[in-house]
Amino acid sequence: MSADAPQRSAALTATTLLGPATFVAALGVIGPMLYLLRYSFNQYDPRELMIETFTLKNYQAFFTNSYFLDAYLTTLRVGLFATAVCLVFGFPLAYVLARSTSRYKNLMIIAVVVPLFVGNAVRAAGWMSFLGSRGLLSVTLMNLGITSGPTDFMYSEGTVILGIIAVNLPYMVLSLQSVLEGINRNLEEAAYSMGARPLTMFRRILLPLALPGVAAGAILTFILAMNAYATPVLLGGPSFRMMAPLVYGQFQLNNWPAAAAIAFILMLTTLLLTMVVSAITRQKFRVT
Amino acid sequence: MSAAGDANALPIGRRLRRNAGRWTLNVGAAAAFIFILLPLIFVTWLSFYQQEIPSFPPTGYSTRWYAEAAANSRFIKAFVLSVQVGFIATAIGLLLALPASIALTRFSFKGRAVINNLLLMPLVIPGIVLGIALYVFQVEAENATDLPIMGSFAGLVFGHTLLVIPWALRLICASLVGFDRTLEEAAQNLGATAITAFRKVTIPAILPGVVAGGMFGFVSSIGNLELSLFLVVPGQTTLPIAILQNLEWKIDPTIAAISVLQILIIVGAMLVTDRFVRISRVV
Repeated sequence: MSADAPQRSAALTATTLLGPATFVAALGVIGPMLYLLRYSFNQYDPRELMIETFTLKNYQAFFTNSYFLDAYLTTLRVGLFATAVCLVFGFPLAYVLARSTSRYKNLMIIAVVVPLFVGNAVRAAGWMSFLGSRGLLSVTLMNLGITSGPTDFMYSEGTVILGIIAVNLPYMVLSLQSVLEGINRNLEEAAYSMGARPLTMFRRILLPLALPGVAAGAILTFILAMNAYATPVLLGGPSFRMMAPLVYGQFQLNNWPAAAAIAFILMLTTLLLTMVVSAITRQKFRVT
Repeated sequence: MSAAGDANALPIGRRLRRNAGRWTLNVGAAAAFIFILLPLIFVTWLSFYQQEIPSFPPTGYSTRWYAEAAANSRFIKAFVLSVQVGFIATAIGLLLALPASIALTRFSFKGRAVINNLLLMPLVIPGIVLGIALYVFQVEAENATDLPIMGSFAGLVFGHTLLVIPWALRLICASLVGFDRTLEEAAQNLGATAITAFRKVTIPAILPGVVAGGMFGFVSSIGNLELSLFLVVPGQTTLPIAILQNLEWKIDPTIAAISVLQILIIVGAMLVTDRFVRISRVV
């Protein structure tokens, strides 16, 4: 019996166990993504729909067309702004949850988790009933005499940002909370006992230690904001344009090559900005 | 020495400032908490309005929209399809993820990280991108094989299985890492075969992770919109798509009632999952 027989049988077992899942994931992710990349170099034709060729026209068209560029810039703006707001508003809640010793803590965390899985369309419906011209906000402002007639708060960039913040806040809170949970409370007390003010303690102790969670949360919320679909469609209305609805719009027009190119531009932009953020965070760690 | 004792010894100015800081913190946290739940509260409120046109204030309250929702065949059909797809995709996803998790936690081999990342990929790639990629792939697959793949039930289940695998993998791996393998060895020393030891010792020990993985997979399948958009055909849509299409046109208490039912299913699934694993430790 050779010495590497057990090793070989272990390799066989691992392959058998891992094989089916790997096959499904490869078939469902790698294959489709490669085809999508190939399609993005094809050419759209109104009569034949798609002509197989190799052209960069779809990418070129995107960056020279103001209709597409507007959507691109709006998406970046909304993504960055929503992420910044999520960071500022998520931190206090994450901190309170992480430091809580209440027996309702788990229930509170479930309350933060549940909205994550309730579809974005459902949450948009909630905002629609609140922000519409006959909604609670408009009627309250009228009753208070602040506005004279009904105001429609729907269909603006601000509304979309509001909706996206509400969608992404739980992700930020959970990312921050998991990191804050691991920071020893005595470090905070030590800073206080040496005379630090709360804000100084936050800036010099808590924030540097929580930086991995801040980076993880910011990256996650940014990716989700950039790729939001239901929120811009429902809260932004037909004339508001962001990238994900644009992909679907081009797809519905049967312009698959353009839709494929836009999908790749969206994904690469997200990936690039994500990598920049991780690189900066990593550098910060090495310095301090 | 207690921290509270020290705090009381601080000069009054600093103590006040610290209390003020604590208050600001708590108010900020409460505001964020309410903000997260606000849309769900509004939708639930709307579902009990008496009048059909959702203008505030409501003329009264009623539960008739729930009866209306239950009688709406379009939504019932979409709901049934969503549940069917969710169940089948979860079952297949678990069957694939369980052995894969064992291989990933118990064997070290070249390319382990690559395979791990590949299996988690569907959670990383934006839904809209993966959705259109799957559509394009189905076009090519149908052209190549002449099988009716486009808009088929199997195609939809396949897409959702991709979503279930990462959730199941993450949670099952987490519970396998925490499992003490000497227990399995002890069973084998007492005469159990490897398979019996696995079935009678390991499986019960990691069951919470399997249940939680299945629950999260199911819930993410039920709520998925972006991927499904590209995989359904008119007349055969999932619940989130039916809700979206209705909302693009108008909002009314019926759609709110349907939304509340979806929320209740998810809350139920989360509370059940929480009995098996602390949710705060898995998300």
